[in-house]
Amino acid sequence: MRLFIAGLRKLVRRPATLVSLGLLAGLLSLILVAVGATARSRPNGAEALLLVTFPGAYVLILSFILGLGGLISLVYGAAVAGSEWSWGTLKNAVARGESRSGYVLLTFASVALLIGIGLLVAFGIGILMGLVGATLAGVSTNGVTDSASLGALPDKLGRSWFAMVEEAAFGFAVATLARSQLAGVGAGIGLYFGEQFASLFLPDIVKYLPFNAAMAVVVNTNPGGGGGIVQRLDPGTALVAVTAWLVASLVVAAAFTERAEIAG
Amino acid sequence: MGPAAASLALATHGLHKRYGSRVALAGLDLSVPEGVVYGFLGPNGAGKTTTMRLLTGLIHPDTGSIELLGRPFGRRDRRRLFDIGALIESPAFYPYLSGRENLRALAATGASTPANKVDELLDLVGLMDRARDRVSTYSLGMKQRLGIAAALLSDPRLLLLDEPANGLDPAGIVAMRDTLRNLAGMGKTVFVSSHILGEVRQLADMVGIIAAGRLVREGSLDDILSGGAIVRIRIKPEEVARAVAILPGMLGAGQVSVQSAESGWLSVEADAGRASEINRSLAEAGIYASELTAESDLESVFLELTGGAPAADGERPTFGAAGVSPKGSP
Ligand SMILES: Nc1ncnc2c1ncn2[C@@H]1O[C@H](COP(=O)(O)OP(=O)(O)OP(=O)(O)O)[C@@H](O)[C@H]1O
Ligand SMILES: [Mg+2]
Repeated sequence: MRLFIAGLRKLVRRPATLVSLGLLAGLLSLILVAVGATARSRPNGAEALLLVTFPGAYVLILSFILGLGGLISLVYGAAVAGSEWSWGTLKNAVARGESRSGYVLLTFASVALLIGIGLLVAFGIGILMGLVGATLAGVSTNGVTDSASLGALPDKLGRSWFAMVEEAAFGFAVATLARSQLAGVGAGIGLYFGEQFASLFLPDIVKYLPFNAAMAVVVNTNPGGGGGIVQRLDPGTALVAVTAWLVASLVVAAAFTERAEIAG
Repeated sequence: MGPAAASLALATHGLHKRYGSRVALAGLDLSVPEGVVYGFLGPNGAGKTTTMRLLTGLIHPDTGSIELLGRPFGRRDRRRLFDIGALIESPAFYPYLSGRENLRALAATGASTPANKVDELLDLVGLMDRARDRVSTYSLGMKQRLGIAAALLSDPRLLLLDEPANGLDPAGIVAMRDTLRNLAGMGKTVFVSSHILGEVRQLADMVGIIAAGRLVREGSLDDILSGGAIVRIRIKPEEVARAVAILPGMLGAGQVSVQSAESGWLSVEADAGRASEINRSLAEAGIYASELTAESDLESVFLELTGGAPAADGERPTFGAAGVSPKGSP
């Protein structure tokens, strides 16, 4: 428990934590306000206005968070795991007799909790900014209180959290194997874009891969209403795939660290 | 296990370790009694840091065994490290956290650590004023001080310090020496690697010298120093032959060797106390030394044993080869 709390404290104080959240919430706010302010005066503006039209905006905002937030989670997970090697702080813990896999898993547990908090904060800011955008565009905000949409939110938020945690775990495992913050972040981003790129050629396989599966846990239509080539997994299968990636990533990170020679 | 073994804080038997194809340790045997300050010496690449890593379970030996605090230490014995404090190679911290926060984070790992210990140690290493600053703003020596504090965090029975004097200023070195001597006075064992031989001389009770991954000498500081006395004399080059003829007569079995005939350097195996005697007998024979140094010190023993003796025959001294084989070993 003290290790978990110490892990949280370390992450909260870490500049990357605030930067990640700021990036996500900032971009989201910018887009929502910009849409609200300009949609009426643009061709195809009506479609853009959906982004600030509640209750539909709830899911759109969430899928935006999931899309960008997924990449940010990946980078964040990779940075946290990689820096333990780059900075030598894993060495300290091991030399003090701490369990290697325990340390790795508890470190990840604090990442997962912070992602949950970040998700809620970003979503809250997104709703506020969506309302601002709606007001700017003169769209009714009555849909905000739509009880069916509100009732579905906890489930959707939970799924989004789970999906982002999986993406963070993937980055976490990659950086652990790379034993380096920089290499881990780089390789993680490479794999992320590699997966998007591969979807052009191997849609049947790519839908099972970490990022596509993560998206399918929450949204099973392609964002933007078509145009995407990858057929999304159905939510149930996606959940299984995401769980498998999450567990596999953590097992790889823990087992690798358990066996690694720490001679850096 | 016999009573002799039980009083050892640390022992290694035939420790072998390779990194890929590079041999770092080639059968290291160490015996460190409880309650001593043990100076662990060796040239660059000799295997000191590798030994420290093995002793803290960061890496594992290819063959050979380790005993820590009287019991075998293997992969499953990580809890033994709860009684051990270590500073290995350079100190490692979260750069964005303060010194105090870093120690607190560390205190959450391994053995449980009382909350007031952190400030007590910050005070001890003289970092109280800077305790709230980020470690990324610390100087080299300040990080080193924090590393020493980190090693002391769990009130260890055995301290493993890898070149702890790195980057410390003179006051810091004196303070560290006092701290380590105090700890030894309390019955704790301090195993400290160093390059600063003068420092080891003042600090250590016992010394182990390694070269190329093997122990080449281990013993009390007194024993080691009494064995390795060398007097170096510089005379006129044309008088070298005559001096070589005279000196053995007065020194008995003591060995005289010509280090550089052109520059007139001789070295004589003799206690430092006999330097003036040697000088007098040379003078009586009309040979006047222009320089005479009594190197009854760790440096000459170290250089002799680790194959880094001053270059002979007029060559200028070099840095030597890192990790070279000790003299006389295959
Ligand atoms: N991580 C590593 N990977 C590969 N080889 C290594 C590694 N660490 C050390 N070595 C090699 O092992 C040998 C012993 O190195 P070690 O760091 O133990 O020496 P040392 O006695 O601590 O030297 P120094 O006085 O320079 O700190 C050297 O030949 C070195 O090149
Ligand atoms: Mg070293």
